Amino acid sequence: MGRLSNNCKEARAPLANVFISCVPSLLFLGLILSLYHVPLPWTFVLPWVPSLNVDLDVYIDGLSAQFLLLITGIGSLVFFYARGYLAGHPKAKRLFILLVLFLFAMIGAVVSDNLLVLFVFWELTSVLSFLLVGFNHEDVGSRKSAQQAILVTGVGGLFLLAGFILLGEIAGTYSIQAFLHSPSVLINDSRLGVVLVLIFVGAFTKSAQFPFHFWLPNAMAAPTPVSAYLHSATMVKLGIYLLARLDTAFSDIIFWEYALVGTGTLTAVFAAVQTVYERDLKRILAWSTIATLGTLVMLVGLPGHGAALATVALFFAHALYKAPLFFVAGNLDHGAGTREIDKLTGMRHYMPWTATAALVAALSMAGLPLTFGFVAKDAISFAKAQAEVLHLVSYATVFVNVVSVAVAAIAAIHIFWGHDTIPRKSHPHEAPASMIIPPLMLVLCGIVFGLAPTLIDPLLGAAAKAMSPEFDATTVNMAYDLAPVIEVTLGTIALGLLVYLRWDWLHERLSRITFLEKVGPEGWYLAIMDTLPVIAARLTRIVQHGILPRYLMTMLVTVAVLLLVLLTAADPPWLWPPSTNLGVPVASASLLIIVGGLAACFVRDHLVLLLVGGLVGFGSAVLFMFTGAPDLALTQFFVETVFVVVVATVLVKLRRLKIRDRQVPLEPLIRPLDLFVAMAFSLIVVVLTLLVSALPFDAQLTDFYATRSLAEAHGRNVVNLILVDFRALDTLGEISVLFFSLIAVLPLLKRIGDKRP
Amino acid sequence: MIWAVLIATGTVVATGIYLALSRDLFRCLIGLALLGNGINLVLFSSGRLNTQVPPIIKQAETTLHNAANALPQALVLTAIVISFALLCFSLVLAVRIIQLSGNDDILAIRQAEPPATDSIKPALEEEP
Repeated sequence: MGRLSNNCKEARAPLANVFISCVPSLLFLGLILSLYHVPLPWTFVLPWVPSLNVDLDVYIDGLSAQFLLLITGIGSLVFFYARGYLAGHPKAKRLFILLVLFLFAMIGAVVSDNLLVLFVFWELTSVLSFLLVGFNHEDVGSRKSAQQAILVTGVGGLFLLAGFILLGEIAGTYSIQAFLHSPSVLINDSRLGVVLVLIFVGAFTKSAQFPFHFWLPNAMAAPTPVSAYLHSATMVKLGIYLLARLDTAFSDIIFWEYALVGTGTLTAVFAAVQTVYERDLKRILAWSTIATLGTLVMLVGLPGHGAALATVALFFAHALYKAPLFFVAGNLDHGAGTREIDKLTGMRHYMPWTATAALVAALSMAGLPLTFGFVAKDAISFAKAQAEVLHLVSYATVFVNVVSVAVAAIAAIHIFWGHDTIPRKSHPHEAPASMIIPPLMLVLCGIVFGLAPTLIDPLLGAAAKAMSPEFDATTVNMAYDLAPVIEVTLGTIALGLLVYLRWDWLHERLSRITFLEKVGPEGWYLAIMDTLPVIAARLTRIVQHGILPRYLMTMLVTVAVLLLVLLTAADPPWLWPPSTNLGVPVASASLLIIVGGLAACFVRDHLVLLLVGGLVGFGSAVLFMFTGAPDLALTQFFVETVFVVVVATVLVKLRRLKIRDRQVPLEPLIRPLDLFVAMAFSLIVVVLTLLVSALPFDAQLTDFYATRSLAEAHGRNVVNLILVDFRALDTLGEISVLFFSLIAVLPLLKRIGDKRP
Repeated sequence: MIWAVLIATGTVVATGIYLALSRDLFRCLIGLALLGNGINLVLFSSGRLNTQVPPIIKQAETTLHNAANALPQALVLTAIVISFALLCFSLVLAVRIIQLSGNDDILAIRQAEPPATDSIKPALEEEP
């Protein structure tokens, strides 16, 4: 019976996975249908926090639609692929749930028109990325990578939030569209630079730009579907999305252009160099993804509508060829048990379908004609020609392209062609259909759109229009109409193949240069992570020193300073209190208290101390008696007597136990610092009481009790009525406290005199 | 006469704090008791000390006239009882700890915060 129900459970789990994995496909189909029938842009509002003016304003134009298509489209294939990749994995369901959550967070981020809502979804994607990178949480490397990913993007997110708030406050609106239509308020504001830098930090950490790039290759600890989806196709492009979204407002600012082009180019070149260091196919792909992200940032920064088209085209092309290559890396892991390129050759004999997918994806990545990669490269060349970029940037792009050709060759030729000469324990095998179909479908799309770019033109045009309003369809045609690009492409491919042939030699040469790893941003990150706990520990020791009098002193000084600050801020009228004639009894009671208090300071013996302390209590009781408070006097007399008697008993008992015999006194009788603090504090208290007494008396509450006592509570002793009638619940609480302390005291009291612990 | 009361209040508060800052656990406790006493006086005198007539409605009348302020009295009454409970509890606790550690020096009682054993955290300050 137990086995039967177990079987049922096992059978049900994949069914749930099948159901979940259909979510993005359904969204994708719905989106395609809507795009055909309803013209862009789509807008609608869902109220969320009306009191803060934060609503779920949805605004979907071409740019959002392109992201939505990729999020749901690639998402469908990733979910499909993950079913094969994690077949039988005990935590597969967890992965699917996280992926669905991520899907919705991404959708939320790209459709939101409100900056704060965008930020919330932005951070959600960071958190889900953390959970997905740390999916194999038993592995310490995974955990470290996940921590790194969330720290870098999370801190960047805080900068972004600051930037958004500043932007919103200056512009007077948190709606992106409202801001884009009239950006002049911000453009002319002196704080513009700060806003831009804050937003840059947020976008650059998310999109892995130098110097925040290092978390992305480490995030490859995630399962392959996650890497393909989050860390190549969608999440890391969120930074680009934000920059592209704001591009229309800032594109005329020199700083915007220079910062984006500079950072993008630097990132691309740096990542291209780093690619050569790696031998793990997934990390190679990660670095080449960073190079593409750098190129995208550079393109967003370039002025002109050609650049807008190039951005969206490259963005699209990259998703179509990089995701399949990640799938290929996953298949190799699955079928051959390794991703090390040194251990992989001639794989086409074992994995023909994977080899096909890799080859076609690589063709697109290399930018060969008749692929969509070529269309994207074409658009980039046109954009650069139109924007008249510096030669340096041009050379850098060519260099990055050469390396990406080499990477494509590694993925397609080195791994799958040639003879398999490496001895292995078991034969590699082809991946199941669920892991072959997704990459094949994607590369097929790449070819179809490469052969007939007009199919995708409306979408690219609409997306480019969102970044550059003057954009029109003719630019698309102009961009595709550049014959000379063929020569450049062929030159790039030739150079790329040369790099590919010398890859191992380059790797060996570069590996000798290790200083980059030590002094680079990752080194700084590690240094910070090492120092933080030490600083925290030191700080803890400074604050938590374990010395009771010093804790007390800290509290007193803090309260005193706060009181002084409040007193200065309130600036009350400095008046003397009106004089009252209460006569000799009050004066003598006060004298009793003063004598008791002063004596208590200078008495060493505990029993005597207790007695002089009691003097203060009895003095107060006398004072109460002569100021119209007989109830108080009675209570004080009683409590004081009980206290003194009980404590005296305990003290005598302790003396008998010889615990209190101390030859040398603990401390000097006069401690100047403590005396000063005590006197200063009491002076503040006295001044406060004085000021309160001098203010006109507010008799509202007193009159309330004076008039209502007999009428409503049917008694004549007002103090009593307040306690047992008007505030009866308080008194109940007080009695409970008394009772609980009695419960706590009793067992301890029994043990006094008992030597056992 | 408000002056006399204020000076008394100040003295008690100062004495309370001075004793509470002591290294001797017992003196520290008595200090807390005195501090509570002092604050009660502050509360009480803030309600104005004008008369010796207790706040009790006379037989022939229906409202209270020309009597002491009842509200601070009620508050102080509560405070006295609560601080009594607090003191009894802390006294028993203190006596027990003195008995267990054989010492009434606050700096020597370290059961709650023992010296650190790991390498990152520096040790607690040594006893003076």
